[in-house]
Amino acid sequence: MFQVLPQPIEDILRVLEYWDHILAGFLTTMELYGGAIVMGFFLGLLLALLRQYGGFIISRIATGYIEFIRGTPLLAQLFFIYFLPYSMNAILEAQGLFPIPIGKWSFQTDIIILDRIITYTIFDHRMLVGLLTLALNSAAYQAEYIRGAIKSVGTGQLLAAQSLGMSRLASIRHVVLPQALRRVIPAWSNEAAYLPKYTVVVFFIGVVDLFGKAHFIVANIFRTLTTYCIIALIFLALITIISKVLDFVHKRTSIPGL
Amino acid sequence: MLRIVDGWKSYGDLQVLKGVSFEVGEQEVKVIFGPSGSGKSTLLRCINMLDPLDKGEVHLREQNLMAPGINLNAIRARIGMVFQHFNLFAHLKAIDNVSIGLRQVKKLPKEEARAKALEMLNRVKMAEWVDHYPAQLSGGQQQRVGIARALSMEPDVILFDEPTSALDPELIGEVLQVMLDIAKSGTTMIVVTHEMGFARAVASEMLFLDNGVIVERGTPQHFFVSPKSERVKQFLKQLDILYGSHKELLKRSNEEESK
Repeated sequence: MFQVLPQPIEDILRVLEYWDHILAGFLTTMELYGGAIVMGFFLGLLLALLRQYGGFIISRIATGYIEFIRGTPLLAQLFFIYFLPYSMNAILEAQGLFPIPIGKWSFQTDIIILDRIITYTIFDHRMLVGLLTLALNSAAYQAEYIRGAIKSVGTGQLLAAQSLGMSRLASIRHVVLPQALRRVIPAWSNEAAYLPKYTVVVFFIGVVDLFGKAHFIVANIFRTLTTYCIIALIFLALITIISKVLDFVHKRTSIPGL
Repeated sequence: MLRIVDGWKSYGDLQVLKGVSFEVGEQEVKVIFGPSGSGKSTLLRCINMLDPLDKGEVHLREQNLMAPGINLNAIRARIGMVFQHFNLFAHLKAIDNVSIGLRQVKKLPKEEARAKALEMLNRVKMAEWVDHYPAQLSGGQQQRVGIARALSMEPDVILFDEPTSALDPELIGEVLQVMLDIAKSGTTMIVVTHEMGFARAVASEMLFLDNGVIVERGTPQHFFVSPKSERVKQFLKQLDILYGSHKELLKRSNEEESK
């Protein structure tokens, strides 16, 4: 019976035998993605506001940060943040000071599904570095999307709010941002669709995300093409869902008549 | 009540206002007109401190608005502004456009703010449209909401910055009618406009601004009957060609044809 199955299907089933690993990798990828996009959003919002309204010095600092992040490779940023504590420890120890306890915090949990025990690392120093890097990186890109939306709202709205006696801050909060955040969704969905794929860089510092698990499966059963195709399909499905959800949100929040 | 003394304002090398002084009394309607680029809009923005003067003084009810440390937000709440392009808050319904100032600045409770906003929309004959968003309204309707928004704060004075010049000719009438009603109810107004019919009906004094200085001032009667300076005569003639009877325009085109 199984003899007649064509080779690709057999390969797929062979890879899917590792569904518990794929699931754990997927959860890690989602954790990195979710954490980075949310932290990146709030930091990006802050950066956009500082760049747009911060005045001469502060707006330049925000611009400098954004340009620096956008102008250097993500992988370099990841390595920088990953190795920085090690370098600092060398200095701290030389000075006789207490070193940063790298690798001391790690929270793992066992999830049992269908008799398989999945050991899932919720958090360790590698995840922290990955999350931080992706959030700091994404913030710079998100800041530019948000700033573009803020600019497109126009100064007339701000002037009108201020002419009523609202403070600048209240005007931005109640008049500019509600419009800018609606307008930013289509452009911002770019970042939402890019970021899941960028999370794979954490593979380089040893976080076992979806991509890391793919590597592991390949090392075990040597079904290279099939494994990576399945991983790619998971990303494709994820990003399609994200796009659809954002389209829906955009439609639901659109301003009648516009 | 409102006094501006020797106001100077420049943007970079461009000197926009060059020593403008005038005074507006209680319940007075002042009309400012003049060619584009003469500094009319800048003057209004300097009065409500959206863009303060470089030099000079603005006094509102004997309070010096240029004094350091003054709370500009509180001052702006007392000076209403109606914009050429309406500047309604696009994400808010008509009613919320009017009540936002009452809620955020005057800190009125929700129901009270809504009742007051309804009253104001009623005053500008927009009561039927309270739940419409700005993009669902015509220009004339938007501008009437803009006027209601300014009125809602019960300001000491309302500044109108060419309130009808972005409107289709057919919609100008409804806005002017609302402005006339407001003027007659005793609101102090400074109106930048080229609507000479409106000026004739309610202006107590008209100022002709050109190149950052007040070239000539007087009653509407003075301007329409015996303007002094050549610049004013020329400007009024242009307005007459465009907005007055079409006789002058016809005469000109006939002249062109016969050449």
